[in-house]
Amino acid sequence: MNALEIRGLRLRLPGTARPVLDGVDLTVAAGETVALVGESGSGKTLTSRSALRLLPTGATTEGRVLVDGQDVLTMDAAHLRTLRTRKAAMIFQDPRAATNPLRRIGDFLTESVTLTKVMTRAAATERATELLDAVGLPATVLDRYPGQLSGGQLQRVMIAAALMGDPTLLLADEPTTALDVTSQAEVVALLDRLRERFGTGLLFVTHDLGLAAAISDRVCVMYVGRIAETGPADTLFAHPRHPYTAALLAAPPRLDAPAGRLAAIDGQPPDLRQELTGCAFAARCRLATDLCRTRAPEPVAAPADPGHLAACHHSELLEGSAAHA
Amino acid sequence: MPDRPTGSAEPGNVLAVTGLSRAFGAVRAVDDVSFTLSAGGSLGIVGESGSGKTTTARIVVGLEQADTGEVTVRGRPRHGRARGRAERLARAREIQMVFQDPYLSLDPRITVEAALRETLRLHFPHLDHARRIAELLDQVGLGTRAADALPRHLSGGQRQRVAIARALAVEPAVMVLDEAVAALDVSVQAQVLNLLADIRADTGIGYLFITHDLGVVRSVTDEVVVMRHGRIVEAGPTAEVLAAPDHPYTRLLLESVPRPGWDPDRIAAARRALAAG
Repeated sequence: MNALEIRGLRLRLPGTARPVLDGVDLTVAAGETVALVGESGSGKTLTSRSALRLLPTGATTEGRVLVDGQDVLTMDAAHLRTLRTRKAAMIFQDPRAATNPLRRIGDFLTESVTLTKVMTRAAATERATELLDAVGLPATVLDRYPGQLSGGQLQRVMIAAALMGDPTLLLADEPTTALDVTSQAEVVALLDRLRERFGTGLLFVTHDLGLAAAISDRVCVMYVGRIAETGPADTLFAHPRHPYTAALLAAPPRLDAPAGRLAAIDGQPPDLRQELTGCAFAARCRLATDLCRTRAPEPVAAPADPGHLAACHHSELLEGSAAHA
Repeated sequence: MPDRPTGSAEPGNVLAVTGLSRAFGAVRAVDDVSFTLSAGGSLGIVGESGSGKTTTARIVVGLEQADTGEVTVRGRPRHGRARGRAERLARAREIQMVFQDPYLSLDPRITVEAALRETLRLHFPHLDHARRIAELLDQVGLGTRAADALPRHLSGGQRQRVAIARALAVEPAVMVLDEAVAALDVSVQAQVLNLLADIRADTGIGYLFITHDLGVVRSVTDEVVVMRHGRIVEAGPTAEVLAAPDHPYTRLLLESVPRPGWDPDRIAAARRALAAG
């Protein structure tokens, strides 16, 4: 069974002209790492939060979000609590904002499992000590306050906290963005080890394509509420089939590229107050034709690889071309 | 440590920093830092949090005072705090700063046009402001429609363009950019980096680029200094430092940049070895 399966998720917010999420399909198998990549406003965070039904006020949804086979969007409050404490857990970007500075790390780690009576206090403390060890922190951290730990240490506490209920799905929303580059490696290595050891499915939300390529089995690229492209990490980066993916790969300043002008993507994503006809990327796309402006493309598999899908009318024009030409 | 710059006030240098130190309690945030920025040049200061890069930048701009050391702009040393309005304005015309967060650096209540007009009125009271405002907006790639907008109606990239326009308005000798593109999306970041390159080519304003991103350093600086724990561990032409880093910390920074085939375990081990050593 898949750790997470999202089918045709459509999410509307009051005061917007179009759905913020527009038919999102996404799967994370048990023990698999999937990177969800996108820029701000792409809907990547909303998508990951939907797995815990952490939706903005006034949001209406269509479609299905299955965690461990159960539909999150329709379950009752009791099931939802079990889901959030035992089945799926989230690691947020800013560990300082996610902890209470006045409470000890030990309380923070054991609170959810003892409150929901999943474990006794003694069992919870034992589990917390075990997990702190797994993330490379000594048991003395239990008596510390968040302010006494560095950002990297605190993020490791957050990872331990997420694993307390032994979840089948781990959601990590930009977990390394607030960290220094050298501590980023440590947190990523740790997540990967734990995913392997506990067989957890990992959805890694990031804006960093390089990081996504480095850590994931599969990548989903989102643009304006839709999945533009999804496929195995290495093929998607070597041979992107969506012009947006290709442009994202070419845009950032790179260490191995010659100095000079960067391949910026002109314009900006369409406003939420604007209705969309056709492809969301058409206005910024070099390959766009009248067809793109009038009809939204459906995801189509690559001829050679059924797992590599792109929602583009002209993906054949990109095939065979170098990704970062 | 790199060599002390010889003749820090030589005419080719628009900015010279010599022996800068600043302690906060027992922490030596900036520890004997020296570098020069040639006229129209671009110097990157790279480091992680706690490296002292931002404190260095704040001392250069004058938002923070050094315990010892000297900052010289266009051959004129800046000693202590500015005294009086005239000196404050004169210093502002020497160095301008662009901050990381475009959402915090603009007054939410006033339009883009009013923000630029206020700066121009302070520094050039006798100029035709309307024409200059149009010129500045054009220079940063914003239409005249943006002039009437409040910051909340602009995207992050547009706001950063406004912040750059406001810094350009006083025609400074040096622009200090503190993680100025870090908060922008990849596609927008490239636009702003290209814009900054164009502005430097057109105006000859020197850049001091504070960043943690080696890719950004690669694309917009000629020279780079690498800081760690308040000290400069390596300095030199950007291309050379990045191609053949001398210091193990520079090597660690380079290896930490995620890419396919990246080995986070090895980086974590290298980081611990360096911290222990």
